[in-house]
Amino acid sequence: MKKILIANRGEIAVRVMKTVKKMGIKTVAVYSEVDRNAPHVLFADEAVCIGEAPSNKSYLKGDKIIEVAKKLQVDGIHPGYGFLSENADFAEAVENSGITFIGPKSKAIRIMGSKLAAKEAVKAYDIPMVPGIDEAISDVAKAHEIANEVGYPVLIKASAGGGGKGMRIVEKEEDLESGMKRAISEATSAFGDGSVFVEKYVTSPRHIEVQVMADTHGNVLHFFERECSVQRRHQKVVEEAPSAILTPESRKEMGEAACKVAKSCDYIGAGTVEFLMDADHNFYFLEMNTRLQVEHPVTELITGVDLVELQIKVARGEELPMKQEDLTINGHAVELRVYAEDPLNDFLPSVGNLETYQLPVGEGIRVDNGFREGMDIPIYYDPMLSKLIAYGKTREEAIELMLDAIQNYKVKGVQTTLPFGSFVFAHEAFRSGNFDTHFVKNYYAPEMIKEQTSNEAEIAAMIALYQFLEDKKIVRLPSN
Amino acid sequence: MNDSYSVKVGDDFDFTLSKDTISSLDLITTGDGAYHLLKDGTSYHVKILDSHFNKGTYTISINGSEYETAIQTPLDELIKKMGFAVNAGKNIDSISAPMPGLILDILVEEGQEVNEEDQLLILEAMKMENIITSPRQGVIKSVSVSKGDAVEKKQLLIEFE
Amino acid sequence: MDHKIKELQDRIAQAHLGGGEKRIEKQHQKKKLTARERVLYFLDEGSFEEMGILVTHRTTDFGMDKEMYYGDGVVTGYGTVNGRLVYVYAQDFTVFGGALSETHAEKICKVMDLAMKVGAPVIGLNDSGGARIQEGVRSLGGYADIFYRNVQASGVIPQISAIMGPCAGGAVYSPAMTDFIIMVEETSYMFVTGPNVVKTVTNETVTSEELGGASTHAVKSGVAHRTSANDATCLDDIRKLLDYLPQNNKETTPLLPYELGDETREELSDIVPDNPNKPYDMHDVINGIIDGDSFYEIHKDYAENIITGFARLGGRSIGIIANQPMFLAGVLGVKSSRKAARFTRFCDSFNIPLLVLVDVPGFLPGTDQEWNGIIVHGAKLLYALSEATVPRVTVITRKAYGGAYDVMNSKHIGADFNYAWPSAEIAVMGAKGASEIIFRREIAAADDPEAKLKEKEAEYANKFANPYRAAKRGFIDEVILPKDTRSKLLKTFAMLEKKEVQTPWKKHGNIPL
Repeated sequence: MKKILIANRGEIAVRVMKTVKKMGIKTVAVYSEVDRNAPHVLFADEAVCIGEAPSNKSYLKGDKIIEVAKKLQVDGIHPGYGFLSENADFAEAVENSGITFIGPKSKAIRIMGSKLAAKEAVKAYDIPMVPGIDEAISDVAKAHEIANEVGYPVLIKASAGGGGKGMRIVEKEEDLESGMKRAISEATSAFGDGSVFVEKYVTSPRHIEVQVMADTHGNVLHFFERECSVQRRHQKVVEEAPSAILTPESRKEMGEAACKVAKSCDYIGAGTVEFLMDADHNFYFLEMNTRLQVEHPVTELITGVDLVELQIKVARGEELPMKQEDLTINGHAVELRVYAEDPLNDFLPSVGNLETYQLPVGEGIRVDNGFREGMDIPIYYDPMLSKLIAYGKTREEAIELMLDAIQNYKVKGVQTTLPFGSFVFAHEAFRSGNFDTHFVKNYYAPEMIKEQTSNEAEIAAMIALYQFLEDKKIVRLPSN
Repeated sequence: MNDSYSVKVGDDFDFTLSKDTISSLDLITTGDGAYHLLKDGTSYHVKILDSHFNKGTYTISINGSEYETAIQTPLDELIKKMGFAVNAGKNIDSISAPMPGLILDILVEEGQEVNEEDQLLILEAMKMENIITSPRQGVIKSVSVSKGDAVEKKQLLIEFE
Repeated sequence: MDHKIKELQDRIAQAHLGGGEKRIEKQHQKKKLTARERVLYFLDEGSFEEMGILVTHRTTDFGMDKEMYYGDGVVTGYGTVNGRLVYVYAQDFTVFGGALSETHAEKICKVMDLAMKVGAPVIGLNDSGGARIQEGVRSLGGYADIFYRNVQASGVIPQISAIMGPCAGGAVYSPAMTDFIIMVEETSYMFVTGPNVVKTVTNETVTSEELGGASTHAVKSGVAHRTSANDATCLDDIRKLLDYLPQNNKETTPLLPYELGDETREELSDIVPDNPNKPYDMHDVINGIIDGDSFYEIHKDYAENIITGFARLGGRSIGIIANQPMFLAGVLGVKSSRKAARFTRFCDSFNIPLLVLVDVPGFLPGTDQEWNGIIVHGAKLLYALSEATVPRVTVITRKAYGGAYDVMNSKHIGADFNYAWPSAEIAVMGAKGASEIIFRREIAAADDPEAKLKEKEAEYANKFANPYRAAKRGFIDEVILPKDTRSKLLKTFAMLEKKEVQTPWKKHGNIPL
């Protein structure tokens, strides 16, 4: 492979390009009109403008991207995450045009793209799943039946859905009918498909996912788990590897289950199998993400591998250079997603200009960054500025490094989730490992961050006045 | 003048401090514009990042976090108390002819709501067409002239509610 | 030593109380600051050095020796404004109503003398009921001492007066002879004779505010150059004004750091309308030329047909005089000529270069003007500009007709550089008027006189209503594109920076006053 086009932007485009360059392969970037001065454009060997700012006029235009790839004689296309990465049609179109799609076959994307199809595929492999019906329904009577079978509380989930839409928790039988009606109507209007699943609602659930990698020689490996339970509105903010509470036995079990899921759809390349774990350490298959994930760096740090490098090797038809026995966990890594959002204002996007933007540096600090000082935050895309990752020999060390790095991360001009990060990593519940996906709901309120700053603000006021009174004493000569 | 100062920090905080509080701070100088503070046993590393003595504004870093502060002297407080709004604008109730001339055209009517800079009428004077614009936002109470009228300087043209 | 120090501190503390807590309270209730509060607010933090805080009056008549106050009703001294030395005196209304006595006047004279020796501006904060009657002619003498010094200092150091309370009778003459007067709205007034006497003598009923309040003087008489909403904004305003002025007549104007880049100003191209009868706001032209937001207007509400004010060009302060087409078509009249003439002479005294923007159709006709001496007053501006030796640059944006063309800083009266925009019309008079005269016979003889007039008008306009005849003769140095005006002026003023002109020796000329 001599040339790879990265069909993405921001930090992931830069991160992928770094590995591509390392491997001696040429890089091609695509960008929208408003991204001309973005780091990924500056980093690549070649760059082509593919359209106007809105994603659907640029980064989502698969045909235009393939056209560019063909013109520049690109050998492979890496889709990153988001945008077209899980678009089976795109993957198929790329393959049909004679270019290698650095990811799984379109068939695997299609299967895992539908919850129904996914559940069907893994059924044969005896993967534990959340108790409930494994077919989508829209009949309330059937819902009652299932609910009574699995026991309350139950979760009603849109079959075609995601992002927290079309999900409803029903605590008791009386609420089931109205819950069903509302979930179905939400799903219909959001996705055009009103069919829902009814399954047991896992209380105090932890979101634990396993990184897998499969090559074209039949090898499927897992690279251990990641804990992603600190979420806000079903979006991950803090991730770590390995999980603070998994036993070696659970780890082995989940790893093998994940590999089976990958095998069930003839998976090739990097993927992530997401599980839900309850208070008793039972785990249930949720879904598989058929792409490289945002939080992959924490896995890379504890296993010492470059996942993007492996992706490219697999795409080239090579055999994975290691066996499952060769993989061990070394140390602990934590990641904070730095979003341009205001944690004091319900995490609404904070638009503006990065007047000051300085990254922390040091031993054990890795920043996958997509912005530069002086850049404006474009309003058309995901407001993620970067991923801040800290790696230490122990979990405690990693957390301390992270807290330090957050202090040294200087951003002025927009609000970020950095102060929220300080809050999480200093919190007893997180530090002890005793938390689940309700962490934010249970412990966080904007006042917490304000309190933290209130004390320091008072000290700043005192120091300011002190300095003022000292400055007053200095003799100032009039000039004429 | 009393010895208490009010200090604003960022947009959210306002503290009233007295000279005595400051003189009792346990502070040692660790460098140029750098101090170490011990308060209630906790240690703070302080740096003065930017200072404007005359304006009373200082940018201070406490253990790495930056804060913008603004000091109000007792005199500043007095002025604030006296309600001296810095940009006091007068409320104009009527518009009179700035010069003698002919009303060429009237562009508004009674009861109409207008914004600042909206065109109200055209006054021809010295062979020039002068557009009279609204000095404020408001509702037209009355128009005292008609198209074609000759007006004197200072003659009332329009009144606001 | 300790008790001696305590004695000093006690005396000073008492001086700080002025006329007492109650009177200070009253002053605050009237929305006025005390003299010392004004001075401390005005000057840079911690820079004020007071002089004569312990001075008291010497009068014994009328039992005055029983009532004495340290400072004797005026706070005097020096300090800095943005680091630059200034002298200040502030009358204390809480002491005898701020009335002027012999010793009060002595204190003021002392700072004025120092200011003259050293060469730094004097700012007077006036708030006084007038002469201290008990002192009799000694008080009048005190005033005169001040007046004499105002005149000695005039043109040597900038003198600025703030009227922050009453200022009546003879007292008004000191501010009148200073360079700028700024009045605080609603709490200050100035007149020679108050409403009471006016009522008895002329039977006119009028309030202090109507007779001599801030808006009266800003709009009607032009005595006040600017007004402010309250004490604080008034003092802020003076600080701003000082930024444009040099310390004294030997210094050049202050230069603020300014980085030049591409100085093309596209917005200037769209200001002058195609229709010569449509006015435009000359302020837009000014703002398109100067450094952002740097225009400080003088006499904004008086004689609005001409604009005067300070501004910055590339960081250096300049004075601007510009006709305002939006008002009376920008003609010159009695008031506007006087306004611009005084402004010109101030700039000339203090080495402030002048930029003159021209769009003038002539002088204002009418008996009002003629019987009020437009001849003499119009000549004032002509005289002042001709006399000025500071760099003088002109830009003609549209009309420059007749005598007004000569007056508005034409090349012939010594302007250093004359620019014109392509829309400039330099002629003896407008096309219509000229055609009516020149082609009188042709028009009378024509079948359709109106159409003939229009035809001749167009012909005349084509030939004369442009800058090219003047350019041909070199009366205009360059015809420029509006958008290039700023870049050109930056270079022109930089080029003229070291201008020096010798004038024939004279004690002083005889400007038609």
